[in-house]
Amino acid sequence: MLRIEALTKSFDGFMAVNNAHLTVEQGEVVAVIGPNGAGKTTLFHLITGQLAPDSGSIRFQEKEIAAKAPHKICRMGIARSYQVVNLFSRLSVFENVQVAVLARRGKTFNLFRPSRTIAVEETHQILDSVGLGGKADRVCGLLSHGDQKVLEIAIALGSRPALLILDEPTAGMSPEETAQTLALMKRLVAEFGLTILFCEHDMAMVFSIADRIMVMQQGQTLAEDTPEAVRNNLLVQEAYLGGGAAPC
Amino acid sequence: MDFASNITAAALFQQVLVGLSRTTILFIVSSGLSLVLGVLRIPNVAHGSLYMIGAFLTYTIASAVGSGAIGFWIALVLAPLGVALLSFAAERGLFCHLYEREHLMLLLFTFSMTLVFNDLVKLIWGSDYRSLTAPGFLQGSFDVFGLPFPRYNLFLLFIGPLVAFGLWFLTNRTKIGKIARAAAVDREMVGAMGINVGWIFAVTFVIGCYLAGLGGALVAPTQNITQGMDHTIIIEAFLIVIIGGLGNIWGALLGALIFGLTDSLGILIWPQFAIVFPYVAVVIVLLFRPKGLLKSTW
Amino acid sequence: MIRALFSAKTLLVAALLLAALILAPQVVSRFYIYLMALIFATGLLATSLNMVLGFGGMYQFHHAVFYGFGAYALTLLLTKAGMTPVFAYLLAPCCSAALGLLLGLITVRLTKLYFGMLQISLGSLVWALAYRWYSFTGGDDGIHGIPLPDAVYSSTGAYYFSLAVCLVSLLIMYLIVNSPFGRIFQGIRDNPERCRAVGVDVHRHQLAGQAIAGFFAGVAGTLFVTVEGSVFPELMFWTLSLELIIMCLLGGWFVFLGPMLGAAIIVVLRTFVGIYTEYWTLVLGVVLMLLIFFLPEGVLGFALKKAGPAGADPAKE
Repeated sequence: MLRIEALTKSFDGFMAVNNAHLTVEQGEVVAVIGPNGAGKTTLFHLITGQLAPDSGSIRFQEKEIAAKAPHKICRMGIARSYQVVNLFSRLSVFENVQVAVLARRGKTFNLFRPSRTIAVEETHQILDSVGLGGKADRVCGLLSHGDQKVLEIAIALGSRPALLILDEPTAGMSPEETAQTLALMKRLVAEFGLTILFCEHDMAMVFSIADRIMVMQQGQTLAEDTPEAVRNNLLVQEAYLGGGAAPC
Repeated sequence: MDFASNITAAALFQQVLVGLSRTTILFIVSSGLSLVLGVLRIPNVAHGSLYMIGAFLTYTIASAVGSGAIGFWIALVLAPLGVALLSFAAERGLFCHLYEREHLMLLLFTFSMTLVFNDLVKLIWGSDYRSLTAPGFLQGSFDVFGLPFPRYNLFLLFIGPLVAFGLWFLTNRTKIGKIARAAAVDREMVGAMGINVGWIFAVTFVIGCYLAGLGGALVAPTQNITQGMDHTIIIEAFLIVIIGGLGNIWGALLGALIFGLTDSLGILIWPQFAIVFPYVAVVIVLLFRPKGLLKSTW
Repeated sequence: MIRALFSAKTLLVAALLLAALILAPQVVSRFYIYLMALIFATGLLATSLNMVLGFGGMYQFHHAVFYGFGAYALTLLLTKAGMTPVFAYLLAPCCSAALGLLLGLITVRLTKLYFGMLQISLGSLVWALAYRWYSFTGGDDGIHGIPLPDAVYSSTGAYYFSLAVCLVSLLIMYLIVNSPFGRIFQGIRDNPERCRAVGVDVHRHQLAGQAIAGFFAGVAGTLFVTVEGSVFPELMFWTLSLELIIMCLLGGWFVFLGPMLGAAIIVVLRTFVGIYTEYWTLVLGVVLMLLIFFLPEGVLGFALKKAGPAGADPAKE
C-alpha cells in the first residue's frame, strides 16, 4: 500500500531523513521506532505532504505522492494524528470531528444549510467508536490530555482513510489510557480494515501490536522486520535497545 | 490627456533629481518606522502623526525665533527632539505595557494614538494649514539643463546620505546598535544575557520617532503643513518598509528610492495619474517578493 | 430552518425589535431616521468584514475598498450606464465580489501581516485611481446628486430600504456562518494546517470567503449611496478600513452581532459627541486605547463571558 524508497530530506545541511525506506502492506500495523531526533516525525510530515522531500519516492497505492499538497494526499486516503495535540481549540469535540467528515463528504462549500444538521450520525458514530460519545459537546480545550489524544485519532478517522498515521498516540497517557488506545487500534484494524502506521516510544505497546517494525536512527532505516527479528537484531540492540531497557 | 509629452533628457534628469530629494524625506521617515517595526515589532501607525507634529513644531519654533535662517536651523534641531520627547513619554506610559500583545492589537492601539494626536494638533494649531519658508540661501532654484531645480532639494540630496551614514554607524558600529539588532532577532536571548531589553526598546523607539520628527522638520519648507499629512505619509512609509523588508534599514532606502523615483517619473509620464505609479511599483514588487526585497528581521 | 437556528426567546426579542424599527419613522424625527439608516449600512459593512476577520482569521486591512467599489459601481451604473435601478442594485455587489476575488487571487497566498499589507497596497492603488480619474469617477470631489429611484429617494424610503436589505443580508450571512462552509472557515482560522490535513483546500475556501465578504461590503456600499445620494473616494481610504476593524473589536469579533453593535456605538458617538465638541476623534482614540488595555474581547464578548458558560457557541447571537 505504501512504499517509500531512498527518501531524503535535509534542513540547512542537517539530514533529518537520510535514504530511508519502508513498506507497508494493506491491513498491517507497522511501527516506527527510534531515539528522539531520529527523523520519525519528519518522515510522517513527508508522507502527508507537509514537507517536500529533496529526493526519493513515496508511492501510495501505486501512485507517487511525494511533494503533493496535504489536502490532496488526504483525499487519496491518508489521514494522521499529531504528536503535539493539534485541535480546533475553539470548537467542541463534536465539531472537531465534524470538520473532517464535512471535508471528506465534499460539503465544505455548502453555504446555506445549518451545519448542526449535517453529518450528525456519522460524526456521532466515530465519537462512539473511540469512546468520546459522552463528551461530544465539550469544548475540546477542556478535555484531559488523554482524551485530547483520542480526539486526535477521531478527527483522522473522520476522513475515512485507508492508511492511518499516528504520531505517538499514547504519549503522555496513563497506563489505563494507553491500554484503551491499544484496544482501539486493534479494533480499528479488525473492524474497519484500516492500515496503521505509527511511531512510539512505549516499547511494550509497540511489541504487543505491531506486525512489523521499522527502526530509524539519524534519519536512516536501520532495520525493517518482524518484532522478533528486530529484537534480535544486533545492530538495533547496540544502537537503540541497549541492554534491553528501552526509552519510554 | 497629456501623456509623455514632456520627456526630454533634461526633464528626465531634473525629475530624477527631484525624485531623489523626495527619497530623502521618505527614507528618513521610513527608516524610523522600520527601526521600530524591526526591533519592537510594533506597526506604529502613529509614526505619520509624529511626522506631522515635527512639521508643525518646526513651523512654530521657526516663527517664534523669527529672523528667517536662524529660526529654521534651531527648529530643525529642536523639533525632532520635541517629537522624541513625546514618544518617550508615550513609550514609558503606554507602549511598554503592551509588548506581549498581538500585532493586530498593537496596530489598532497605535491607530488610536493617531486619532488622539490628530485632534491634539487641531487643538493646538487649529485647522488651517501653515507654510514655512526656507532660510534665505536655500530659497529659489538654479538651472539644471535649462530647467529649474529648487535649492532646498539640493540640501535634501545632501542630507539624505548623511542620515543614512549616521544610521549605519549607529546600528553597525555602536554597541547599542548591535544589541538592538540582536534584540530584533531574538529578544529573549538578549534578555537572558542580562541586558535590559526594555531600555533597549525605549531607546530604539525614541530614535525611530526622532527620525519621523526629523522628516517632518525637513519637509516643512517644501509643502503646506496640513492636517492630512499624517495619513498620506504613513501609507507610503509602510509600503516602503514592506517592499524593503521589515526592519531592514537598507531596505527602507531601496524602497524609498523606488517610491520616490516612480513618483517623479510618473509626473513626467502621466501627470494626472502620477500618484498611481508608486503603488503599481509596490504591487509588482510584492507579487514577486511578498516578504520584501531585502532580508527582514522577522 | 429558522426554527433550527434560533431559540424561541431570541425570535421574540427579534420580533419586538423589528416592530420598533418599523414603527420608528412615525415617531422619530428625520435626523434620527437618517442616522439609523446610516447605522444599518455601516453595521452591515462591519459584519461583512467580520466574516473574514473574526470568523476567518484573515488580516483584512483594507476592507473599505470593496465598500467604496460597490458604491461607485452602483453610482456609475445608474449615471453613466443608465441601467434600470433593480439591475444596478443587484450588479453592484457582484462587482465588489469580483474585486474581492481578483484581489484575493493575489493576496490569499500570503498570511497575516503580509496578506494585510499587500491588500492595503492593492486597495490604495484602486483608491488612487478613483481619486484621480476625474472624468470617470469625479476625482476627489466624487459624484453627487445621484438619481435614485423614487421609492428610496426620501429619507423614510431610504430607511425602510436599508432596514430590509440589512436584515436580509444579515440573515444570509448568519446562515453562511453556521453552514458547513462557515464551520470549515472557522477551522481555517483556528488551525489551517489541520484543515489541510483533513482534506480542505484552504486557499480556495479563503478565496470564497473574500468574495462573500466583498459582496456584502458592496451591498453596504449601495446602501450608503441610497442614504446619502453621493459617493466619494474617502469611502475607499485606509482609515475607514481601520475604523471598521475597530468596530468589530469594540463589539466583539467572535460574536455575530458584535460588529453591528460596534458600528452603532461608533456612529452614535461620532454624531453626539460631535455635537458637543469638534474633537470627537480624540474621544474615540482614548476610548479605543482603554478598550485595548482592558477589554480585548470587545463589549459584547465581555458581556457574554460574564453571562454564559465558557462553552457557548460563538456563532449564536
